[in-house]
Amino acid sequence: MNKVELIRKIAIYSVYILFLTCFQVSFPDKLSLNGQIADLMFVFVVLVSYMFGLKDGIIIGLIVGILRDCFAAPAVIGLNGSVVSSVGIGVFLLFAVAVFSASVFTIKIKRKPAFALLTLISVTALYKIFGHGIIFIWTRIFSKTLYHLSAKELFVDSILTQIFLNILAAIPLYLLLRFVGPYKKGQNPMLRAQEGKGADSSWLTI
Amino acid sequence: MRRLFANKWFIIALVAVFLVAIIILGAIPNSPLDKVLTPLRAVANPIQSGIKGFGTKVDDYWAAITDGVAIRKRNEDLEEEIARLQHEVQQGEEAIIRYEELKDAFHIKDTFSDYDIFGSSVLSREADEWFSVIRIDAGKDDGLELTGKNSYAVVDTQSNLIGRVIETNNNDSKVLPLLHEGFTVNGKVNEVNGAVIIVSGDASLKRQGLCLVTGIDEDVILEPGDEIVTSGDGGLFPQGIPIGTIEDVDYSDPLNIKATLRPYAQIDDLKDVFIMVPYEKEEEVSTEETAETSTANEQG
Repeated sequence: MNKVELIRKIAIYSVYILFLTCFQVSFPDKLSLNGQIADLMFVFVVLVSYMFGLKDGIIIGLIVGILRDCFAAPAVIGLNGSVVSSVGIGVFLLFAVAVFSASVFTIKIKRKPAFALLTLISVTALYKIFGHGIIFIWTRIFSKTLYHLSAKELFVDSILTQIFLNILAAIPLYLLLRFVGPYKKGQNPMLRAQEGKGADSSWLTI
Repeated sequence: MRRLFANKWFIIALVAVFLVAIIILGAIPNSPLDKVLTPLRAVANPIQSGIKGFGTKVDDYWAAITDGVAIRKRNEDLEEEIARLQHEVQQGEEAIIRYEELKDAFHIKDTFSDYDIFGSSVLSREADEWFSVIRIDAGKDDGLELTGKNSYAVVDTQSNLIGRVIETNNNDSKVLPLLHEGFTVNGKVNEVNGAVIIVSGDASLKRQGLCLVTGIDEDVILEPGDEIVTSGDGGLFPQGIPIGTIEDVDYSDPLNIKATLRPYAQIDDLKDVFIMVPYEKEEEVSTEETAETSTANEQG
């Protein structure tokens, strides 16, 4: 990759990151349905990781995670029972999302578009399931309060709605990354060369 | 004779006489010349009409261009005028909104006279179900500083409760919204000797924009529509901040009576908020600062 391509890549990534992040935290009501919000940052990290590989995914995941923590950190019940604004959960979340998305359904199925959606559905479902589970345990231990959600609230209102919204957001984002993305022709040439040699984290691949 | 026709002046004179004769002949009523010219007209007229039509079209086209340029210029002038007027109208509307907000702020200040009121704008809101802290553009540089377990109430322009400050940075602060499951405030029914209750966020209800009401005594009768305000117990929130109205009450378990509350504040449509800082804290801070300054001076 020459210098011009590198600058182009950085510039395009920067524009996407800033726009998507700022839009999500500035106008969440425009992306909302049934109490859930289409998670543009999350979807972006999933798609970048899936389409352009582990290295890009991790870097973008970390940057977007930092911005997520800066703009809209989660409030968690601290060890002393008081509610605090956490730092690092967003970074960790999007890092994990990047690793998962870059490692599943990638090489053997040649990063086909349909599997991008499958990856997104899987990652979103895992995020929501783990999220609810961790909050349930955490609130039980530290705040002694109940985290009571019915099965409908958990699966329909939370998980399925979130998956639906993320898919809606993913379709235009995928097309943008494919045709107006950081790489010409919508493919990371280095990744392609590596995958040709079977060197891209094949130990992680299903 | 041949020499005569070779003379150009003779030819010119002959043509002149011929033409004069034609003119004279043509001046005679019912001149035969008309009949001679009819076939010529039959050919010439359509050509002339066509040329005239083309000329007219070119003329019209040119006129349209010149007129269009003038019209476009005029249109641009008018659009500029409209844009300027719209801008003035918007500025006027913005000024009215700001005026109303300031009026509201003064109202809040009058209502809660023991508190200093800091106006602030919302910078960012929730990113998803769990990343839900609201960020506002007032921080330590504006005089907001959390110490120990204290916190500041945050209200909207109508002085309805929004949440509380949980973290202050130099230029911004983070607010825990009252719908968050970690939020709890002591409330009471807004009437003389109104029943005291506890209002808190709830994971299940927050999707519907509702809060959970607990701590309701068996002998208390809550009804939908009852207004709930902060009770002032606990010290974090001043007494009398409107929270919302009771939506529904569940008396099915007498030992655990629950109700739902619909907050007045429209968190989805928040733009500006006010932070309520008690004067005592400011005095404490300024006293500490004075003490530190005098100590530093003594040491210096």
